[in-house]
Amino acid sequence: MSSQHTSVLVVGGGIAGVTAAIESAEMGREVFLVEKSPTLGGRVSAMNQYFPKLCPPLCGLEINYRRIKDNPKVRVFTSTSVEKIEGNKGDYSVTVKITPRYIKDSITDPVHPFEQLEATLPDEYNYGLSKKKPAQIPHEMAFPFKPVVDPVALEDESTKAQLEKIDEVDLSQQVEEMTIKVGSIIWATGWKPYDASRIGYLKYDEYQDVITNVEFERLAAVNGPTEGKLLRPSDGREAKRIAFVQCAGSRDEAHLPYCSAVCCMASLKQSTYVREAFEDGEAWIFYIDIRANRYESFYRKIQDDEKVHFIKGKAGGIERDPESGDLFVISEDMENSDMVRIPVDLVVLATGMVPSTADDKVPMDGLTYDDYGFLVANPDKAVYPVGCTKRPVDVSASVQDATGACIKVQSN
Amino acid sequence: MAEKVGCFVCTGCKIGDAVDIEQVLSVANESGAVVAKSHEALCSKEGLDLIKSEIESNELGGVIIAACSQRDHVDTFRLPNVFVHRANMREQMAWTQPPQEEDTQMLAEDIIRMGFGKLQFTDIPQPEDVEVHNRILVVGGGVTGMSAALNAADAGKEVVIVEKEGELGGFANKLHKIFPKDLDLAAYPEPDVDALKEKVSGNDKITVEFNTTVASIAGAPAKFQVELKNGSGQKTINADSVVVAAGWKPYDATKLSHLGYGKPNVVTNVEFEQMAKDGKIARPSDGKEPESVLFVQCAGSRDDDHLPYCSNICCGATLKQITYLKDLNPEIAAYVVYKDIRAPGHYEEVYRQVQKQNAVMIKGEIEAVEEGDDGKLNVQATDVLMNEPVFVETDMVVLATGMVPTTLEEDVLNLAYRQGPELPEREYGFPNSHFVCFPYETQRTAIYAAGAVRMPMDLATCIDDAAGAAAKAVQSINLIEQGLAIHPRVGDASLPDFNLSRCTQCKRCTEECPFGALNEDEKGTPQPNPTRCRRCGVCMGACPERIVEFPDYNIQMISQQIKNMFVPDEFEEKPRVVCMVCENDAMAAIDMAAKNGLKLNPFVRIIPLRCLGSFNIIWVADALSNGIDGVLLLGCKSGDDYQCHFIKGSELCETRMGNVQDTLDRLMLESERLRLEHVAITDYKKIPEIFDSFLERLEELGPNPYKD
Amino acid sequence: MSEEPKVPIPELGGAVVETGGETLYQCMQCGLCTASCPWRLVEGDISRDFNTRKVQHMAMLGVEGYETEDILFACTTCGVCVERCPRECNPIDNMRVLRAMIGESGSVPQAYRPVIGSLNSNGNPWQGEAKDRTAWTKDMDVPSFGEDTEYLLFVCCTSCYDSRSKKIARAVASLLNKAGVSWGIIGEEEQCCGEAVRKVGSEETFMTLAEHNIKIFGEKGVKKIITTSPHCLYSFRNEYPELGGEFEVLHYTQLMDKLIEEGKLKPTKDFAKKVIFHDPCYLGRHNEVYEAPRNVIDSLPKAERVEMDRFGPDSICCGGGGGRIWMETPPGARFGDLRVSDAVAKKADVLATACPYCTIMIDASNMAMGKEEMEVLDIAEMLDQVT
Repeated sequence: MSSQHTSVLVVGGGIAGVTAAIESAEMGREVFLVEKSPTLGGRVSAMNQYFPKLCPPLCGLEINYRRIKDNPKVRVFTSTSVEKIEGNKGDYSVTVKITPRYIKDSITDPVHPFEQLEATLPDEYNYGLSKKKPAQIPHEMAFPFKPVVDPVALEDESTKAQLEKIDEVDLSQQVEEMTIKVGSIIWATGWKPYDASRIGYLKYDEYQDVITNVEFERLAAVNGPTEGKLLRPSDGREAKRIAFVQCAGSRDEAHLPYCSAVCCMASLKQSTYVREAFEDGEAWIFYIDIRANRYESFYRKIQDDEKVHFIKGKAGGIERDPESGDLFVISEDMENSDMVRIPVDLVVLATGMVPSTADDKVPMDGLTYDDYGFLVANPDKAVYPVGCTKRPVDVSASVQDATGACIKVQSN
Repeated sequence: MAEKVGCFVCTGCKIGDAVDIEQVLSVANESGAVVAKSHEALCSKEGLDLIKSEIESNELGGVIIAACSQRDHVDTFRLPNVFVHRANMREQMAWTQPPQEEDTQMLAEDIIRMGFGKLQFTDIPQPEDVEVHNRILVVGGGVTGMSAALNAADAGKEVVIVEKEGELGGFANKLHKIFPKDLDLAAYPEPDVDALKEKVSGNDKITVEFNTTVASIAGAPAKFQVELKNGSGQKTINADSVVVAAGWKPYDATKLSHLGYGKPNVVTNVEFEQMAKDGKIARPSDGKEPESVLFVQCAGSRDDDHLPYCSNICCGATLKQITYLKDLNPEIAAYVVYKDIRAPGHYEEVYRQVQKQNAVMIKGEIEAVEEGDDGKLNVQATDVLMNEPVFVETDMVVLATGMVPTTLEEDVLNLAYRQGPELPEREYGFPNSHFVCFPYETQRTAIYAAGAVRMPMDLATCIDDAAGAAAKAVQSINLIEQGLAIHPRVGDASLPDFNLSRCTQCKRCTEECPFGALNEDEKGTPQPNPTRCRRCGVCMGACPERIVEFPDYNIQMISQQIKNMFVPDEFEEKPRVVCMVCENDAMAAIDMAAKNGLKLNPFVRIIPLRCLGSFNIIWVADALSNGIDGVLLLGCKSGDDYQCHFIKGSELCETRMGNVQDTLDRLMLESERLRLEHVAITDYKKIPEIFDSFLERLEELGPNPYKD
Repeated sequence: MSEEPKVPIPELGGAVVETGGETLYQCMQCGLCTASCPWRLVEGDISRDFNTRKVQHMAMLGVEGYETEDILFACTTCGVCVERCPRECNPIDNMRVLRAMIGESGSVPQAYRPVIGSLNSNGNPWQGEAKDRTAWTKDMDVPSFGEDTEYLLFVCCTSCYDSRSKKIARAVASLLNKAGVSWGIIGEEEQCCGEAVRKVGSEETFMTLAEHNIKIFGEKGVKKIITTSPHCLYSFRNEYPELGGEFEVLHYTQLMDKLIEEGKLKPTKDFAKKVIFHDPCYLGRHNEVYEAPRNVIDSLPKAERVEMDRFGPDSICCGGGGGRIWMETPPGARFGDLRVSDAVAKKADVLATACPYCTIMIDASNMAMGKEEMEVLDIAEMLDQVT
């Protein structure tokens, strides 16, 4: 005989997932928030600033984390992934797998025991632009504020030996499986950046100083690989002249046919970084259409800046001068009936967002995905995608979505 | 106040290495601790057991946990029936000061003394249940209003929809089709307006008041007295919370004569939609089917002389309307003159498909729309794609005009609030909210905006938006019923108490409250409305007579912390600074600085505030009269891109700072002893420099002459 | 910007769509085609004036401004724009249709008139007589295609009539004999595949040629065709089927690759040189054959193969496609020069290619640039040398 559960499973601990979890709990529901990495925060916690207010993402996250900390109805499971979902609306059995942190529960100081370790692993938080220690707190605003041993580190014997010497480390911990019973499911697994190496003519693989928008965001962030200084990867020289190539692999039948909706605003925002960092900083934005739909005044402000140049033309090639180290962006400049070849220090490809569900489906039968891999809401099964799991959107719309999902699940 | 206080000092996380713990414990005893103990790991089971057993055996009313930041181990140290003060000995001392030095010891001891000062004036707030009606008022019966109502009804609430027209459906009734037409884009399911109407009519939890407007809303959340007015009279209903779904109006095209409006065959997108709906797409001048139609995008939008903003959906609407033309007759030529084609997300596919129907897209500017022969329009434009002028003789011109929120010109709520009848505006008539992270949180508690009245959006998004606002409307009832605060201090049970006998009717609190929580009587005495209150404390900070206090957050609590600081005499050359920090960002920034191993000036004592807006200038007097050399305030930046979660807390603090600096000048004390620095949560690397630079300036000014 | 405003005539744009430019209106005017076009890599008037995107826009509007020889007939149909267009537009088709419309109004460029005339009267574009189509076979054992023959070898008109190019035909024939393949030619009765003349807009001439070829191939029972030119490969594979000519078509490098793998061709003599391969547009981008020619080069004993920076789908056109093999291109505007530079940059001894147009164009550039230390050879010639 099946029972009706009113609890909610939220999968994904980014801004949409965190919002869905806390808003649901504040409506009186029990919530299980499951996140596969060791910390909540998702991709927004790796951003330097939000558009258009140019405010730090950690500000809003701090309020949300506080609400979660104060609310016993939200149970947070990090390093946890969903293996299997069985059952029906109102009565789901969700099997989750919890990867161990390999840190003793009795740990007190989360920071200093690991000071002596060297940074040897690629740091995904910085999109591989820097290295991290095999054991550490993921970053300053990690939630929970606890260290974790990256299982990859255990594949190297000498690293493993170093770790074993630390009291707070316990390598005997095992993977755990657990079953959670819930009534409805909010899927908030977000997105990953489109793989820029697939766009051959933009030379992402060939030139170190051609980077993506998410990587640039890390360069600009105070807790990033360059501590917020805009230095280019190849030689560390100041990136005073930056080109932004819009629609890099988006609005493109050979790559992502859809528009990711936020990359125009992201580049406008990022142009302010170079203008802030250097008095003679300059930016060129190569675009097809500027989609600043809800933030026209922000666009206007950037347009008024003489050192930000808008060039209508989809960039068709990047060249590099081995002597000066300059990169050249080749594009039509339609408004001036011209072809341009602009020398810059750094090229930022405004790549789009691919839903995580394009590759990682919900382990449940009977759900549908659209042509691009976005999950389709299924009210009959009480499964709701929110944020970028549903369609490419900015933070404001993700939060809107996630909040709305909380009442949609109420009808159980 | 907590009668019996126990003090527990953790020696883990390097705290034990940093200072002489025994000395710290004796300071605790001197400060009046009933019990003072240390433990190597207070967060461990043994540590907690120790605390709990001491609470029980000593019947403690308050405990000081001198350990890590209050932002860490929140769950661990949640102890019932006792007031817990988290004295930050870790981030604010052990991790940011050199160990075993005199100044570090003095800092640690001050942290303990200040904790006692706080507990002296702290009571555990007891939430009071509030009776609720479980009814939500929805203003507007369009797609947004209907969706919100259905969501709320599903969640078990009663809903009253107030609709000024005689039917539900709002603007959607005027649409021929809803896009994305004929495309199987799962992310944008076509809203079925008729089905919505049926569901609403068939739902016995939802009442619709047709031809009705809201004459006034008095009271407060859970106690709204809503006066409804229709042709036949008035009636009053009770409501707990409100969803404003009053929708939009098209921009007034009579202002667009420069684009030809006023000539017979120039119509707006709304008028063209009506033609399509009526089944008669024809030239108004002679009723004939057009052979060509030219659409002008951004007609009166993205234009400083008209609507400066983008209405988000007019590009999509034009693409949809082109399909009407091609359905009617594929030979009809369709031109679009645009600045940018804004078809974001899945709408790119709509754009692509409509293009394939031979839409002629011209990026450019309209130079003139003149009347030609036989009612035709002669359109002159500059085509940016060729950099040539083009001349199009067309049968009809459709101006894609933008959306204006109803609230720009109409009052839809008529709140009987001292601060005004409507939701405070952010820009262009749209309601203000912390729109990036918390888009629903307006400046009026339990009143939420959704749909096109909040910002221009398409119908599919309106439905999602309605769900969000309905969720908030339901949630707020849930919290308010328990006597608790809503966002951002969710769950806060404290309420401000106003000692009105000492009120001088200066009206600062009633004016400054960011949420309009206070009404005023004829004399100007504030009338608190507890269920409107967000517990930020701006009123407490504003009041020159200091009549406002929260049981667990009040003037004396902070004053006592300041007074409990040990201030060395001027010859010691150990200045003292009290630094009040916004606990939402600056305090977190200090924690992060500590985590990163940054070192802080040892002469600074930190006091967290709920919001810089709760800063009361008396504390400056308290500090300076006690010989403290300077007062530093750290909080978020204000202005158009404000970060304050209470909207204007930091802005108010800045104004008050200006006032007090006048006072200081008159007292012959340097106004520079008071400083406010803007700190975002990610500015943790700047904190050491901020402290050092302030102390440097104070050194130049010399010690406070009021030191003993 | 000119003073006179342009007046759009959408019916003209519609006409382009109706007659083969189906993708015309899909264009979102992003400019990637223009930015990617090889004309951007050279100097001169054509480079300045020819803008792929702008031509599409004008065509959509149905306005004038692109009909000159320098603009409308600049396109070499290299296919980079088609490869990269985010909307899957085909500017080549559109260009072809526009050229056809111009052609109908009588404005075919002067350079093409003798070409078209020759095709109409002699079945080849080189003003050669039909009977001389098989002149290259002199002193060679070249079988005729018969009932039991497996492969028809279709030799490009260029390799039938151009003296340098004839060597390619002879090399291919020699290799087929060495491998013991069942093959034969048709000879005089064949006519030009029509690929290039269609690209310059002569739709009628193309139809005549194609229908003729399909008829005689059918009569002779042709099922499989080997071509010496990737242009013929393109036409037979992609354009003949909808006219009723369904054949299995291979470029000779694809067959050679297979024969080497099967051991039927045994490269034994040393070819100790640094070889760099230029991907012909019509072999690479248009027919996606990239591996086979490289495998053949790799089979040459002691040959060291290197790659140009711009190779594979990024290969730069030699400038001969789209009819431009018959046009005069001024110095400084020749794509062939770019390929020579690319090869010299890698210090190649041999620039290998697999298309008669490429061989002619790049060889000409090589001579003009004085880089004769580097040889320009067709793959067939190299393979024939070592087997």
